[in-house]
Formats: sequence, C-alpha cells, structure tokens
Amino acid sequence: MATAEEVRARRRSAQETLAETLARVEALDGRVGAFLEVTPDLAFEEARAADARVRAGEDLPLAGVPFAIKDNMWVAGREATCASRILRGFHPPTDATAVSRLRRAGAVFVGRANMDEFAMGSSTENSSVQLTRNPHDLERIPGGSSGGSAAAVASGMVPGALGSDTGGSIRQPAACCGVVGFKPTYGRVSRYGLVAFASSLDQIGPLTRSVADAARVYRVIAGSDPLDSTSSPEDPGDPESAAVRGIGGMRVGFLAEAEAEGLDGDVAKNLDEARRLFESAGARVMTVSVPRAPEAIAIYYVVASAEASSNLARYDSVRYGPRPPSGDLASLYVESRTLGFGPEVKRRILLGTFALAAGYYEAYYGRAMRARAVLSHDFERAFGEVDVIVCPSIPTPAFRIGEKTEDPLTMYLSDIFTVPASLAGLPAITVPSGFSKEGLPLGLQILGPRFGEDQVFAAAGGFEREIALPDETPRGVR
Amino acid sequence: MPSRPSTVTPDVVRRIAALARLRVPETELTVWARQLDRIVSYIDQLKELPEESAASRDSVRPTPFRSDSPRWGAGDRALAENAAVSAHGFGVVPRVVGGEE
Repeated sequence: MATAEEVRARRRSAQETLAETLARVEALDGRVGAFLEVTPDLAFEEARAADARVRAGEDLPLAGVPFAIKDNMWVAGREATCASRILRGFHPPTDATAVSRLRRAGAVFVGRANMDEFAMGSSTENSSVQLTRNPHDLERIPGGSSGGSAAAVASGMVPGALGSDTGGSIRQPAACCGVVGFKPTYGRVSRYGLVAFASSLDQIGPLTRSVADAARVYRVIAGSDPLDSTSSPEDPGDPESAAVRGIGGMRVGFLAEAEAEGLDGDVAKNLDEARRLFESAGARVMTVSVPRAPEAIAIYYVVASAEASSNLARYDSVRYGPRPPSGDLASLYVESRTLGFGPEVKRRILLGTFALAAGYYEAYYGRAMRARAVLSHDFERAFGEVDVIVCPSIPTPAFRIGEKTEDPLTMYLSDIFTVPASLAGLPAITVPSGFSKEGLPLGLQILGPRFGEDQVFAAAGGFEREIALPDETPRGVR
Repeated sequence: MPSRPSTVTPDVVRRIAALARLRVPETELTVWARQLDRIVSYIDQLKELPEESAASRDSVRPTPFRSDSPRWGAGDRALAENAAVSAHGFGVVPRVVGGEE
C-alpha cells in the first residue's frame, strides 16, 4: 500500500498524510456525502501514535493509512449508528475486532462512512441521515449498503475503507464506484463489534483502489477471534503473494446462469472482454453451471429477513437509543421501534416475522434453508471443475438517485449476482472492469471456494494487470 | 408474475406488525400488504422447485458455539453511557404492570 510504504520509510509522516486526507475530504465531501462524521482530533491522536511506533522501529503494514469505517462497526470513541435513528448517540464500549486489528497495524480512522440503514439496501438511499452520491456521476447512487465506504475510496478521499457484506454490500457498491471490494469467506474475519443484520451471512471486508491493497487489508483483519465463535482457525493464506502470482493455467469458469439472465448490453460486452483477457493471460477459460443461482434472491430475502427480524428485536430504547415518551413498557417498545426504524428496515422485519410465523415457517424459512443447502452443494460441485467462477458484479451500471426507491423488489434484484456467494459463504471480489457507454464503472466478480482466498486474489490480480485501467479521478470530483 | 390469491393480506400485516412490535396505521395496511405480497409472490418461485434429497445435502455448516461460561465484558460501562435512563447499573423502564392502557 503506497501510503503505508511512504510512512514506513519515513518519507512522509502519518500526520502529514492525514492532513492531506482531511483537506481532500473538506474539499470533496460536501458534494459526495460519503462521511456521516469526520473525527480529526481523534484521527490526529492516532496518526501521532502511528508516527511514534514507526520511529520506534515497529513494522506496521498499514502505517498511517487513513481509513473510513462503515457506520455499523465499533470504533472506540466514535458513535456507531448504522445510519439509523434508533442508534443515534450510541457509543460502543470498545473497538470491533477488525478495527482493533487495523489499529494494531498502524491505521488511522478518519470518520464514519454512510450506509443504508442497518446495511439494508443497494443504493445508500436508505440512510436516515443523508444521500451519498457516486463520484463518477453525482446524480447516481454509489451502490449499497457500503456506499459511503465505496464513494470515499473512489473519490480519493481515503486509500482504504472497511465495509460489510451480507448479500453484496461490499462488492455491489465497489462495482458502482469503480473500486476493488472484497468479501472474505464467512468466518475469515471476526464479526465482533459489527452490528448484526443477518448473522449467518454478515462478513467484514476491505474496499480499496487496487487488488494488492485489498489483499493487505484482508490479511491484517483475518484470523480467528475468541470473541466470535464463527471465526475460523484456518490459516488466512498469503493473499499478497497470490495477487502477483499470475493466472497461467488457472481454470476460470464463466457462470452460465449469469449469461442466461439477459444481460444489459454494456455488461454483456464487458464480460466478453473479460473472457478474452483471461484467455490472453493464459487461463483455461470455460463455462460452469450453478443451477440454483437464479433462485438466490428468493432464498436470500427469506433467510436474511428472518435473521434480521430476530437480530433487530433487541432495539427497544432501553439500553441505547433515543427514548420517546411512552406510558408503559409495551408502548415504549412499539413507539421506539416505529419512530426509530426507517421504511426499508420495517419492511425486512415484517417480511422476516412473516417467514418465521406459525403457519408460514415451513413453507418459507424451512424451504429457503433447504434451497440454500442445495445452492451450496451446487457451488461445491462447480469448484470441482474450476478454480474460480467469474460473473458480473452488477446487472446494470449505477442507476439514478430515486429511480428504484418506489419498487423494493426491483431494488432487491440489483444484488442478483452477489447474493449467491453470500448464501454459500464463499470469498468473492469485485475488480473494476471498464466503463459503460455513459462512462459509468463496471465491475467483474470473481468467486472462489470456501477458504480459497488465495485463488481469488491470484485471479483478481492477474485480471487487474491484464486490463490495466488508467488510475483517473472520477469526473464528478475533478 | 402469475396471478395468485394474496398471501399477505392487510390482516396478516396487522398480525405480524404486532409480533414485531411495530405500529402500522390502519390507513397504511393495504399499501404494506401489497408491497410485501409482491415480494412474497417472487419468493414463491421456491415452491416450484423439486425438493428431492435437498435435506440430505445439508452443506450449511452448523453454528459453532463457545462455552457457556460467564465473562466480564464492557456491558456495564456501555449501559451507563448509552441508556436513556439507568440506575444502579440497570436500564430503567416504564412500569410494566398498571401503566396507562
């Protein structure tokens, strides 16, 4: 990571780096709206600490690197609200494990990145606080739910950000904004201190401007954690070496079901170009089938909503959050939740409550869980034939702000290519793959088998070198 | 989407909102029912799929648990700093019995 190398070599201090970052945030974020809050005083304390550690000879892989952190992760000293009214004023007691690992590696936290409320959305329009705009076209959405993180990186305000991905919330905004976004295997990164949305799907990962940077951040935050029993003891591998390894001979399977979806013209053309690039880099390119992938959205909206309705049952304004006037305990629960949650969160809670209710449970939740198991099995079989699977990250380039807000189902279908990897718990990365006719970014998604991060980074690094996109400032923030 | 009788009716919305402790005004029940029914109708495609041997192919990993032993965390401090009203280390709530109806 170039910033870290500069600070490690003491060519530039973490404090100088931070000052430049804050100046850029000041200049640009009024237009983009990526940050809910910028915390310069705390950030300078962290930058001073990073400089002192570098002077003391510590080897810090992220020395002085300014980060944006999605507002659903705990950073000690800052609020963490999930861009929701119901968590306004909540101060976490400690760092999330992923955040403390970044801190240990020398990172500096610039501020809280905007998001769809409780990570429920694909456009960041569900934030209760503000809109975030796509740096490539300020009239368009940045994707979601980690839209603030993606926009902050794409506009060059920060070199790295953490996002969370439940059904595509890192990979989809990364594609919309033209940056790299990586969702690790479920269990690779501790979820301690990540506010829960759907616990069997949630995973923290990096958004960066290059595959190598994503590999470094992933390596720092990965690994088992006694505070999250689902975190895996498996060795996280050597993603930075994998990213420069090359893809000669690698078996690359293009997902048949994605191509059968009737792709947008620009996306289809972009996928053809990706196929050609993999071939010219020496990969063995083939087509692979995951027959249940087209049902993934239906499965996802049962499973994720059911888990969300359970996880969000804890919000009642007793232990945190603003407390509305109420006569008794039952009305406190109802009033705080009715006033505190936005429409999309209520929709998911109602949908999940429906799927788990007596009389519907077996027909919806039970059936979806069985279909999820079959989908996972489909992937296992596919990875017997190929090393990685390739498909688009997004079905269309970023759409206009407001275009889909009245039609929740159409909005849900924005995640059609990202949800399958989430349900199967697989690692998957978005790599920028070019632009649409209108100059909007497109992203290629590369999926690996469970704990196959090294394969994913090898393919992603090879593709990135092959396509060699110019590193230009997005036109909305020039 | 094929036409079918509505699964999510205004009455179903009223019942699940009560379970979820959310207030949905009577005037909005129809809108919520229509929206949710459209989503449920999409989800119903899962009913069209054959389910043979699905249960035996359980590829979803079981949830690992940590040992159920007490551990001191930062909960007390978090409660003291974040609860709207707290006393003696507990969150204070309105009276449970005999409150206003």
